[in-house]
Amino acid sequence: MHEQMLYFLQQLLNGLTVGSAYALIAIGYTMVYGIIGMINFAHGEIYMIGAYIALITITGLATLNITFLPVVLVIALVLAMIVSSAFGWSMERVAYRPLRGGNRLNPLISAIGVSYFLKNYVLLAQGSRDIGFPLLIKGSWTFGDPNGFEANFSYMQLTIFIVTIVCMVALTLFISKSRLGRACRAVAQDLKMANLLGIDTHKIIAATFVIGSALAAVAGMLLGMYYGSIDPEFGFIAGLKAFTAAVLGGIGSIPGAMLGGIVLGVAESFTSAYLSTDYKDVVSFLLLILILLFRPSGLLGKPEVEKI
Amino acid sequence: MKGKYGKLIAGLAASVVLAGAATTASAEDTIKIGIAGPMTGPVAQYGDMQFTGTRMAIKQINAHGGVMGKKLVAVEEDDACDPKQAVNVANDLVNKGVKFVVGHLCSSSTQPASDVYADEGVVMITPASTNPTITQRGYDNIFRTIGLDSMQGPIAANFIADKIKPKRVAVVQDKQQYGEGIASAVKKTLEKDGVNVVMYEGINAGQKDFSSLITKLKQAKVDFVYYGGYHPELGLILRQAKEKGLKAHFMGPEGVGNKDINTIAGDAAEGMYVTLPPSFDTLPKNAGLVKAFKAAKEDPTGPFVMTSYAAVQLIAEGIEKAKSTDPVKVAKVLHAGTFDTAIGDVSFNKEGDLKKFNFVVYKWHSDGTKTRVE
Repeated sequence: MHEQMLYFLQQLLNGLTVGSAYALIAIGYTMVYGIIGMINFAHGEIYMIGAYIALITITGLATLNITFLPVVLVIALVLAMIVSSAFGWSMERVAYRPLRGGNRLNPLISAIGVSYFLKNYVLLAQGSRDIGFPLLIKGSWTFGDPNGFEANFSYMQLTIFIVTIVCMVALTLFISKSRLGRACRAVAQDLKMANLLGIDTHKIIAATFVIGSALAAVAGMLLGMYYGSIDPEFGFIAGLKAFTAAVLGGIGSIPGAMLGGIVLGVAESFTSAYLSTDYKDVVSFLLLILILLFRPSGLLGKPEVEKI
Repeated sequence: MKGKYGKLIAGLAASVVLAGAATTASAEDTIKIGIAGPMTGPVAQYGDMQFTGTRMAIKQINAHGGVMGKKLVAVEEDDACDPKQAVNVANDLVNKGVKFVVGHLCSSSTQPASDVYADEGVVMITPASTNPTITQRGYDNIFRTIGLDSMQGPIAANFIADKIKPKRVAVVQDKQQYGEGIASAVKKTLEKDGVNVVMYEGINAGQKDFSSLITKLKQAKVDFVYYGGYHPELGLILRQAKEKGLKAHFMGPEGVGNKDINTIAGDAAEGMYVTLPPSFDTLPKNAGLVKAFKAAKEDPTGPFVMTSYAAVQLIAEGIEKAKSTDPVKVAKVLHAGTFDTAIGDVSFNKEGDLKKFNFVVYKWHSDGTKTRVE
């Protein structure tokens, strides 16, 4: 294949990998916004905590001499999801629920507070240093001329794609088919009315936080392993990018968050590839400004869209 | 009530300190050496090196009869690497009649403190601060026994051009003062040496995903990468480059040369080049000194132990040669002469920087050890 073409495909692949993880995080933002109209700025921290829990579990299992890879990965993933969900649930219970019904600004400020609290909590518990995350899924396929440019598709990237797709499909089915999913949609459409019809809205909102946190934990573990290190600041930039992705796709819309993540990831990758790595963040946030100016409801969001 | 007692106790403590200062000040047969550096705070482990080296030098010089028949006395102060506290420490040392200071450690502390010393005519020698601006303000009594950030770049570039002779080089930096400064110096020198620099790119500090950058480096067929910045980013670049099959050598400044890079990069750190201050404890002439440190259960290997030791030696020799404890005369002598110290023969230029300080090139290994290349 032509070298330029291979280069293009490789950069596309790089962008899709990161983009699908952005999408997983963006879902948490968009679901919470869809239901209670609040931006949960502490969501990036949940993603970071998910990565830490996964790493701690992997290290712990290694000391227990459990090295069978699928078992290690599944245990780490499940534990990360459970603990992060617990954090998400308690965050909603402690910092947001008591403020519900009041000024819309209050939960937002509270979210910033929670974000700082969680970051510093991890900082104190785990230290400020970057910790290496072992790459457990090794190996890759290579394409192209070994003497020229070789494109490279790693098993880790494949894993990220598969896990993301599974999560997306499961979430879509859950929202469209299950009883709880239907309740979620009802609450998103009209919270007060759903409440009158006997839906326990507190429970639904808590469920939204739990689902969003679990998906963030999945992204945290995958990206921590893919990148190679984690630190307490890990969630900040990722959270900001995922938030951008959610707005890009149309905040409140789940397919929008998925699309937004992919678009953002690919845009970043192509900026690095054909312009300069210096401009990577400039371009992603420029994209955000342009979307807000010319299509304020996002790529897939409609002002009256069903919001979850 | 509580506040009253607090003030009373503070007053008592202060008067005790004052009394202490008064008694030592009256002793005419001693020369006070101020040691100012962080005993507490995030970089206290570097401060330990400074205090260890300085104390040992004072002890050994006193054991050999002191300076002009007078004993050296250490006056230790903690600046916690905090610029505000550093100024207080400097004023306090001046009030205690200290004329010679070994310190401070952090460049950000050394800079404001040196203003105080310069005004009061105190000789200050920093064993650790590498920021170039400290000595660029026209003070006659400010010195350092360590190199400058700006020296590392040319040394690295000349090593690349003479020893590695790569065909296509990329220079990557983290867009921060330290990293960009060194990286641009490397690029400039490489181009002067006729090396083909095909790419010069900035990344963001804290960035985690370098897959696009590495793909780009691969496509540009780069065989050598110089990185200006710190270890968290380079560690990830090394690891992701290995996964993506980029076959290039990497090099960085002392900001990447610590063991934390191994926990991030793992095997990928093997063979990385890094410029570091030389390990003065391995100099043959320091064998006896190293033995003395070990006998005192102190570690002589830290980068600032010997530079601190040398700072005291310089003060002592300066006083001997000037035949006076007047800091202005001592500063003049230090500017003029060449001195034999634990970091080799030392002479100063008119700024107070070392005329010669060789950062040396090491090859880094995946177990956190390093071997000297040249």
